[in-house]
Amino acid sequence: MVTAERRTRRRLAAWMLVLAIVLSAFVVRLVDIQVVRAEQLSQESEARRSIPITIHGARGDIVDARDVVLADSVYRYDITVSPRFVRDYTRTDETTGDKVTRTVAESLAALAPIVGGDAAAMLVDIQSQLAVDPEDDHAYLARGVTPEAFEQVRELGIPWVYWERIPARTYPNGQIAGNLVGFLGTDGPQTGLEYRLNDCLQATDGSATYERGADGVRLPGTTVVAQDAVDGGTLHLTIDSDVQWFAQQAIGEQATAIGADWATAMVVRVSDGAIVAAADWPTVDPNDVNGTDVLNLGSRIFSSPYEPGSTMKSLTFAALLDAGLISPTEQVLVPGRYPTIPGYSITDAWAHDTLRYTAAGVLSNSSNIGTSMLSERLSAQQRHDYLAAFGIGTQSAVDFLGEESGSLQDPTTIDAHSVYTQMFGQGVTVTSAQVASAYQTLANGGVHVPLTLVTGCSHADGTVTHLPPLESQRAVSEQAANTTIEMLETVVTDGALSRQLSIPGYRVAAKTGTGEVAENGEYGSERIVSVAGLAPADDPQFVVVVTYGKPDTMKTSAAAAPTFRSIMTQVLKTFRVPPSTVPAPSIPLTW
Amino acid sequence: MSAVPFTAAPRPRRVSPSQRPLEVVATRSQRRARPRAAYAIATVAGVFAILLTQLLLSIVLSEGAYTITALEAQRIELDRTAQVLTERLNVYDSAQNVAANAESLGMVVSTVSPAFLLLSNGSVQGSPTPAGAGSGVLDGRGDLVGNVLLADVPLVTPTAAGGASAATSGVPPTPLSSGSLPSASSAVPSSGALPSPVTR
Repeated sequence: MVTAERRTRRRLAAWMLVLAIVLSAFVVRLVDIQVVRAEQLSQESEARRSIPITIHGARGDIVDARDVVLADSVYRYDITVSPRFVRDYTRTDETTGDKVTRTVAESLAALAPIVGGDAAAMLVDIQSQLAVDPEDDHAYLARGVTPEAFEQVRELGIPWVYWERIPARTYPNGQIAGNLVGFLGTDGPQTGLEYRLNDCLQATDGSATYERGADGVRLPGTTVVAQDAVDGGTLHLTIDSDVQWFAQQAIGEQATAIGADWATAMVVRVSDGAIVAAADWPTVDPNDVNGTDVLNLGSRIFSSPYEPGSTMKSLTFAALLDAGLISPTEQVLVPGRYPTIPGYSITDAWAHDTLRYTAAGVLSNSSNIGTSMLSERLSAQQRHDYLAAFGIGTQSAVDFLGEESGSLQDPTTIDAHSVYTQMFGQGVTVTSAQVASAYQTLANGGVHVPLTLVTGCSHADGTVTHLPPLESQRAVSEQAANTTIEMLETVVTDGALSRQLSIPGYRVAAKTGTGEVAENGEYGSERIVSVAGLAPADDPQFVVVVTYGKPDTMKTSAAAAPTFRSIMTQVLKTFRVPPSTVPAPSIPLTW
Repeated sequence: MSAVPFTAAPRPRRVSPSQRPLEVVATRSQRRARPRAAYAIATVAGVFAILLTQLLLSIVLSEGAYTITALEAQRIELDRTAQVLTERLNVYDSAQNVAANAESLGMVVSTVSPAFLLLSNGSVQGSPTPAGAGSGVLDGRGDLVGNVLLADVPLVTPTAAGGASAATSGVPPTPLSSGSLPSASSAVPSSGALPSPVTR
């Protein structure tokens, strides 16, 4: 009996031991999995199920002063295919319940017209990719198709056709302000404001993960956003797209008629220097960049300085008035020619004997000789400083991509001929933007306000960056500026272009310019013609500058006058500027 | 079995009819601690109720998750539709399209002289001059400000022969006498004129 009992006890002990060993093995394994390798294993399993994705933020819009969208962020779709799965497939018709077999050729033939492709070429592409790599899993059938086309493709329900959503850009207004807005290429912004102010517009991509089941199906509700995407800011411009369109249409029409190489028109609001329109012709449709010459992708308004000719005389007279050196009715005897240095003399655009002009008459009739004689009263340094105060020789505050500063010669080294010619716009180069800015100064009572094209960049969090500069500077006295405008009114009331320049009901002050173009070191027959002016002269609201480069058939400023008037009329109408109430003063031009 | 001898006298019974057996009286706490069927039933029922609620809750929650997913999918579709429509509207809204349509309907821009009618006193400011023939911006000259997005957008009224001719060639819409409602039988002029609402 004792032995049996002992045996039982031993057996029990043995079992207990085995059990303890097994249990401790489990415990060791458990600790190993749950504690020692816990992190690694859970990462591994997470990685097997969770798929990282990039959340694309939307690039900011570019809008005009009335929030008309000039550049819009949209989504387009790349239609892709998995070549190794391309084969005939059977599909159950939803309405009848019949099984329909569709061949590869049929599927592609249905898809091709939607995305605007060629079915045969698609098939060849797929087969050639399969020939290289039978396991090939990715090929493009069409890139950047519209959402409408994408939805039609999805309706087809072809099992081996996939899609990827990609951010894209569209420009609903086409060529309107295309010169300013710029465009995006495949590698990001290429030119214009898209490039220059990319730091405002660009979005910051975020990241997220989602989990996927063994069958590849995305598990609902498993998306975890690690980093939210931040949309780009909205860029607000001072441009009015309607006026911009009108100006582009007007200069395009006239430039074609007179055979000009290029044309620009600029509308600037006097009170704050806001650029209401900056039209270039020819220009680019950002939707179709290849549709125009590469030279037309930027804006000549900012990037092409030229010798402006007589539009500069207004600045000269304002400077002389500011220095108290002339009065509008002062009598001047203007000779037929005015020698400067041996071999050089200044002449007028027309041959004449000695003329009896008043100072206003010199400006109104645009006499180079009279202007040179009067400007002698200023020292070379003063002439330079006055022109510089109007913004000549320095880049405008817009800081446009590729903007030029033009050239204003150093007063200490300037030659004794150019020191005269610069006062009537030869031997000095300016951009259209600088001319507009200088006339803004005259119109604004002599205070130079920096030109602005961008009013700000508003972000989703309510902050506004890229605010325009505010500092303004007085160039000439208010008295000098206003007297200059009164003298410029005589160009419109009494000048040869009176009929083309006057707007019924409004007092307009304008100056014409016919600049000679220096090519290979000498002046040839090419001209750059322009009209710069403002209205209403009794309370200036807007400055308009119209310029045509190298016209073929009409090489005088008479070519620019009708465009100046139609653009100015449109501007006065658009902004509801009340007509003038008092008539223009009458200033004698001769004696 | 018939004659069973009386072998043993029956044990004297301590029980007397007048005496009740002694019983230990349970204290109040002992009595309370005693299990009761009602409690057991209530507990089991409670557990079941909790389990059932949990089950229903999880069903509702997962239903909600699916609803969220479905709604999110719907939102994506609607966002896409909104994008498509906004995109189209922006293109229709472009100055080129508006101008081309306005001129095809016979409107022209007067680039001669701006004039305003002051609503406050009914006076006219400026010197109004009627726009002459050919004063339209596009009139017969075509749109010089290109927009490839407008290539497939038709004009509201197809131009007969360029510019402002559509309004003059078409039948001019007869204006209704003020205050009268159009009778149901009156035929709507189908000359491409804008249907104008009658206001009183």
